Amino acid sequence: MGARKFGPGSAIGLAFGLLFAVFPLFWMVSTSFKPSNEWVTTPPVWVSENGTVTNYLVILWPSVLLEQRGGLGQYTEEGEVTAQRATESDAVSGAVADFLTKSAWQSIRGSIIISVLSTMLSIVVGFMAAIAIARYRFGGNVTPFFILSGRMFPPIAIAIPFVVMFSAPGIEATDSYWGLILAYAAVTVPFSTWMLKSFIDELPQEIEEAAMMDGMSRWEAHIKVTVPLIKGGLIATSLFIFILNWSEFLFALVLTYTNVETIPVKLSKYFSATSGQQYGIQAALACVSIVPLVIVGFFIQRHLVRGLTLGAIKR
Amino acid sequence: MVTKTANGGVPVRALQARARLFDPNDKRYIGILFITPVQLLLITMLIFPFGLEFFVALTEWQPTYGTSIWHAVGTVFSGDTELGLNYYYLVTDEPRFLEALGRTLAISVLSLCLEFVIGLGLATIFLKTFWGKRIWFTALLTPMMIMPVVVGYTWFMLFQYSGPVNQVLGWIGGTSAGADLQWLNNGVLAFFAVVITEVWHWTPLFFLILLSGLNAVPENPVRAATVLGASNWRIFWTVIMPNMRGVIIIAFVIRGMEVIKLFDEIYILTRGGPGTATETMSLYLYKLGFQDFRLAYAGSAGFIVLVITVVMINMMLKPIRYELLEKR
Repeated sequence: MGARKFGPGSAIGLAFGLLFAVFPLFWMVSTSFKPSNEWVTTPPVWVSENGTVTNYLVILWPSVLLEQRGGLGQYTEEGEVTAQRATESDAVSGAVADFLTKSAWQSIRGSIIISVLSTMLSIVVGFMAAIAIARYRFGGNVTPFFILSGRMFPPIAIAIPFVVMFSAPGIEATDSYWGLILAYAAVTVPFSTWMLKSFIDELPQEIEEAAMMDGMSRWEAHIKVTVPLIKGGLIATSLFIFILNWSEFLFALVLTYTNVETIPVKLSKYFSATSGQQYGIQAALACVSIVPLVIVGFFIQRHLVRGLTLGAIKR
Repeated sequence: MVTKTANGGVPVRALQARARLFDPNDKRYIGILFITPVQLLLITMLIFPFGLEFFVALTEWQPTYGTSIWHAVGTVFSGDTELGLNYYYLVTDEPRFLEALGRTLAISVLSLCLEFVIGLGLATIFLKTFWGKRIWFTALLTPMMIMPVVVGYTWFMLFQYSGPVNQVLGWIGGTSAGADLQWLNNGVLAFFAVVITEVWHWTPLFFLILLSGLNAVPENPVRAATVLGASNWRIFWTVIMPNMRGVIIIAFVIRGMEVIKLFDEIYILTRGGPGTATETMSLYLYKLGFQDFRLAYAGSAGFIVLVITVVMINMMLKPIRYELLEKR
């Protein structure tokens, strides 16, 4: 289409769009640096004047916090403590005591283990299925859509039978890593299959046939020729599936209790009876958790639309 | 000693295709071999649980009864209980279920339409050339990459009574006190809060899909229409939109598939509250299954939802079925 002029109307539209897109992010980052007495104020504090990294310390290095304060009792920054402030600081230090016994590291470790392993499983299984569909037309039109149906229904509809099945005597997979890994792989495999299928479809079949003519078996041809040629696509798909697994919340919520924890679940649990919603601490963990997503997202920006549309739109 | 034969002395038997019972390299078997892992995964993790749930949903089993799940499945076959009562109660005696269905549909339609309009507007802006296009483009895409829980949590902060949304609305209204809106405690406002959150999260995807669609519109018909004196409005509706049909359907189907699952954001924002004002299908099922522990009952509701969604999505997929499969 012809390039029309970028008029003032467009500029205003773009400015509003950008403001709408960026403001919530700004607010989250800003909140993560606010000291506890600025979390809820009227009017709200936009950018804290006495910014602090305490929130990050609470979730990442609680031991540093302990040494700094010389104990659990002195969480607030100020020396002068008003009556109202005193109760608040007590509540917060109670919360700190909670977090010290349980910082975010368990959930970060859990998230990494589960996301990485389920991504690998999903990619291997999905790649094989993609080869069968793209190269051998296995199952005609039925199999691809059967696989896709794994993505169709609400995850809660499958989470209920999962809980029943996982807690059934003889299986007992609740609160275990492998249970979650299998569950994640099962719901992301439609994406990996369809996305990899779209990359394999772009590769001329003649290349593999030439390799087979030169004496490779079919398995060798697919593994030694196809894989290196769609390397970019494989990496993009893996990162995309990683994003999906990293963000998954519902299964982790209903299938884990104490042993296994992921970041989204941890995030939803930062709420203590004594001090209410832990805004700053939650914001800090939220910021930490989206760092890999944003980096990976920018890295595969070109392929994002392909992944989310199951390979229907290529760029 | 090497005998001089046409094939250079290789024993004839080695050249003959060996009649093996099973050759993993055979074109007939290799497709099955490659598809097996995914089928195994889906059978153990989707078909089997659903089969189990199908039987359990016929009974009135609850984990709190103290009996084992296998025992519950057994009663289906032994005929000890009256089967299928859950479905009867759900449809006749449970307005919450039908309300949740309707609410899910309302949220989906409303937010998809908003996303489409905003996304299309932004996409038309990005057809033009202007300063910093790449940076703005990336900035606009950011919300899409953030995980739903964080999105829900961010908007939870923004929608607080003393939060920035009320403050900015107050400024627009000309007061410095902030608007008096209980975003998350008022049924109607909470509904819109959920829609706004959803729109913020997924407009970038519409924008991205529609932009790639607009870029693929052929230039010549547009030029021809311009030369013939058609107005921009007319060109848009009669030349550009018909060309975008496939892309628009894909955008709606893909997003539709995801938005009816909406759970994470609402769970963080309102937990379906106040009352049941923002209770979508997923929230309702979650509450049934994991707060009331009526797993069998929730399972039967889940089955109804399952049938509805699969039928609906297959209907939506129909026009683009072959576009998806087509080799390009």
